[in-house]
Formats: sequence, C-alpha cells, structure tokens
Amino acid sequence: MKKKILVVEDEKTLRLLYEEELSKEGYDITAVTDAEAALAKLAQNGYDLIVTDIRMPGKNGIELITQIMGLRKDIPIIINSAYQSYKEDFMTWAADAYVVKSSSLDELKSKIKQLLGE
Amino acid sequence: MIEKFSILSPDFERDAPRELTLLSIISQSFFQPFSLEDNLLVILTALTSGSGVGFNRAMLFLKQGDRLRGEMWLGPRSAEEAGLIWEVLSTPGIGYVEIVEHNRALVSKNEDTLSARLKGLVYAADDEKALIPAYAACRKEILLVNDASSEPLVDRRFLNVIGVEQFLCIPLLARDDVVGEIILDNAITRTPITAADIKLAGICGLMAGNYIYSAALHRKLLDVEKMAAMGEMAMFVTHQLRNPIVAIGGFTEQLLKPDVAEDKRARNLTIIRDEIRRLEDIIYQMGHFLKVSLKEPVYFDPGPVLGSVLESPEIQSKARGYALNVKLDPCPPEILCDPTSFGEVLRNLLDNAFDATPAGGAVSVRGYRKSPSAFVLSVRDTGRGLSNPDKESLFRPFFTTKEKGMGLGLPFIKRVMDTCGGKIEVQGRVGKGALFKLIFLCREREMTS
Repeated sequence: MKKKILVVEDEKTLRLLYEEELSKEGYDITAVTDAEAALAKLAQNGYDLIVTDIRMPGKNGIELITQIMGLRKDIPIIINSAYQSYKEDFMTWAADAYVVKSSSLDELKSKIKQLLGE
Repeated sequence: MIEKFSILSPDFERDAPRELTLLSIISQSFFQPFSLEDNLLVILTALTSGSGVGFNRAMLFLKQGDRLRGEMWLGPRSAEEAGLIWEVLSTPGIGYVEIVEHNRALVSKNEDTLSARLKGLVYAADDEKALIPAYAACRKEILLVNDASSEPLVDRRFLNVIGVEQFLCIPLLARDDVVGEIILDNAITRTPITAADIKLAGICGLMAGNYIYSAALHRKLLDVEKMAAMGEMAMFVTHQLRNPIVAIGGFTEQLLKPDVAEDKRARNLTIIRDEIRRLEDIIYQMGHFLKVSLKEPVYFDPGPVLGSVLESPEIQSKARGYALNVKLDPCPPEILCDPTSFGEVLRNLLDNAFDATPAGGAVSVRGYRKSPSAFVLSVRDTGRGLSNPDKESLFRPFFTTKEKGMGLGLPFIKRVMDTCGGKIEVQGRVGKGALFKLIFLCREREMTS
C-alpha cells in the first residue's frame, strides 16, 4: 500500500509541485493550505509523514508541530521552510528533519525516504 | 467648572513679557514637526527677534564628532533690514509656523559671504588651549567678550567673521556633553549686553542644548529601528524570493524530462512566467520603498490633490463594483504635509480599502475640519475588518493580511504622518470593516488678493 504524506504549504504553485513530484515517487499526497486544514485532515485520516512550511497565514508551522505532538500520533515531521534561521528556534528541533526550500527537491525526497525507513 | 488651555500656544502674544515669549518659543521646538535646522533657526530667532531677548544676531556652532563647526547665523545685515525683520516678527498673532517660513526666506537670502565664512570655521571640541569661541564650549562656561580685538584669547579668524568688539558665547550643554555653542551680538544697534540678557540667554542655551541632544537621540533611535527593519526585510525577502524560485526551478526540472505532454509543457511555462513576474514585482516594490525619501512638510490646499487621486484612472477602475462615497469639505483649510506624499497616502488607503472589501461593498472617503488646527481625512470600508493583534502590527514593515501584499503601504503612511506631525487612528473589528483616520495639522487659507 502507498505511504500517505500530508503536505502543508500556503503557496499554491508549490503545493502543485510537491503533489506531482512526490506522487511520482510513489506516495499518496494530500496537500493543504494551512495548519487548521492540516489538523482537520489529521483528525480524519492516518498519515505516515508530514511535510510543513513554517510561515503561513493563521497558525504557523511551529504551532502546528506543537499541536501534533499534543495528539501523540508519533508521525515523523519534516519542516520545509524558506528560512534557514528557524533552525535556531529550539521548537523546530521537535521536528524529525529540517529541509530549507530549494529548487531541487532531492534533499526533501531523500529525507522522506530515510524517515519512512525505505 | 473647568477651563482648558492649549499646551502649545498657536501664537505668541505681543503683550506677554519678552522672557516668557522667548521661553515659550524655544520649548515648543521639542514638539514641532520641522527639521532640526528649522527648529534651531527658530531658537536663534527667539534670541534675536524684536520680541526676543533683544540681541541683534546669533551664530550657531554644532558639535560633530570631535569638532565644533560653524553652521548658521541669523539676523539682519543692515539697520534697514533690521527694522523690517523686527516689524514682521512683532506682528500680532505670529506663530511658530510663520517664524519657520520667515526664516527659510531669510536664510535663502543670507547665503552670502558671512555664511560661507562661518561654515569655514572649525575648532577642536575638546581642547584645553582652545581660543574663543571654542573656549566657551570646551570649558563649558558662558563668556562675555569685550574689546575683542585686544583680547589675545579670541581667534583672529573668528573676529574677522563676526566683526564686533562685544559678543556673548553660550555653550549648549546636555548632561555632560557639549552639543554646540551660540554666539550673540548687537552688531546693528550697538547696545551693550546686560547682565539680565546674559542670564536669560544662559537659560535658553540650556533648553536649546537639551533640544539638540534629544533630537540626536531620537535620530539614533530611528537608525536602530531602521536597522531592525532592515533585518526583518532581509528575512522577508528570503522568503518572498525563495518561494517563486523553488517553483520556477521545480517546474523547469519537469520540463527537462523527456516526453513532456504538450498541455503540461504549456502549463509549466505559464507558471514559470507568472512566478518571474512576481519576482519582478517584489523587486520593484522593495526598491520603491527603500528609495522614497520624504520632503519637508508645507501648508497647502488638499482639495486639488484629493480630487486628482479620486479621479485617477487606477482608482476609478478599482472602484468599479463598489459604492465609492466621497464627502469633502468644499473649502478645506490648508494642511501641513508634503503634497506628493499626501496623494500617495490616500492612494494607499484606497488600495487597502478595496483589497479588504468584497465586490459590492462600500468605501467612504471623508475630509473635514475637526478643530481649528486639525483636519481629518478618513477612509472607511465594509471589508473583513481588523483583529486586535492585526491593529498592533499594521504599521510594521512587511506585515500584511493580503495574499499578495508586501506590507509596505501602512509603514509608508506612518512615515509620512510622523514627518508632518500628524496622527493616525484605526478602528474596526473582525467582519465589521475598518476605518482609518489621518489627522493633519491645519490653518486658515491664506487670502489671495
């Protein structure tokens, strides 16, 4: 069965890019625009991994991670941000990986594989 | 029963004791929206005008780094000119703003050899062996110099510039620092300087020193704020630029794969083109925000500017699908602002109102006089409104509630309003629309004959 990944990203074009590129790797991708939508999806479905942006309208990615930790679902989380500087925020250390956004998705793809034990 | 009095009196009474008038003028410089130079000139005017202490001329030296430099002088160049200037300054009802305008005209006329020679005088600001005039600033002492040409402590170059035998040196102090020095003389009337004159000039020196010191601190604070904003900007730019770059790179990568279907190729190229346009727009807006420098505020009739912005094709096209209600005082007073910035401010407010309001909503513009010295320009919309946290962050650069905004419009408006001594009031609740009120200083129109 395909592994399910939840992508949280406010930029429309990036959502499209991640959906297409990660589907090609053989994953089942659900892409949502903000933290609220992500929490709603998490309440309904099980996911094997979450990829989230940090700066988004409404709740930011760090608040989202804190809430997911509260749910005790134990899902690996990858932070995917345009900002390098959030790495210094210790709250981001709760995530399993931190990948700075890049025009090559290779690093993101390899971190996903690693965290899914593939 | 209570009675209210204005903290800053709009004009200076002719009958008031001259000492009070003088102190009143100088203490107001702390509150005026004019440049440091304008305010310093008003202080010099207070010391030299007919209604002032009664000195004829004042010269100002300011400390820059470890040097004391001649900056400006004020006063008549001849007895006839003295009569004219003092008559203007003792006109009943003259206020701070009129004095600023009067000085600007006078200084532009005074761009003569004396100014040039004064500006050529530079002394070490901390020199045990300093000659007069720097002596007074270095030793933090008030000096009255008599028979200057036979006094060996007087610098001969300075004596050649000032050209009088008696003058008074007032160091400008703030805390332990020397910030400058004022030199006063009676070159026109040749009246001897009295002990009472010296006492009062000394108090004025303390006030002027404090004003210069706090103006410098304020400037430093603005620099710090600017640096913080630059840091924030660098962060913001990273994010704003990186997202389109990731999209462009990612979709280009897909195009490089063999056998890309025609519709996907067209779609990817469209995305790439749009993202490049977005990059261009970001770069343009950043450049614009960094470049805009504000001009000195002046009094002008806001009517024509309001009309031209409201009737401009951009605003007219944005207003389509909205009820745009405009109610302006048909004969508004003159307001204090830079007219170009004023137009930009209204444009920005209208942009925000239309962006926040769904089609079919209403945007109202009002311009009215609230009090003899306050004119209000307000823009109200029926859009999504403002939350309390939003209200706190509205004027921070790069804060935005818009999908595609840069968050530079309201910081610009704040800069304009700060520069012209105006105020901004924001009202609104989530879902209840927003109201932005800009309050400008105003005065009666000048009668044209």
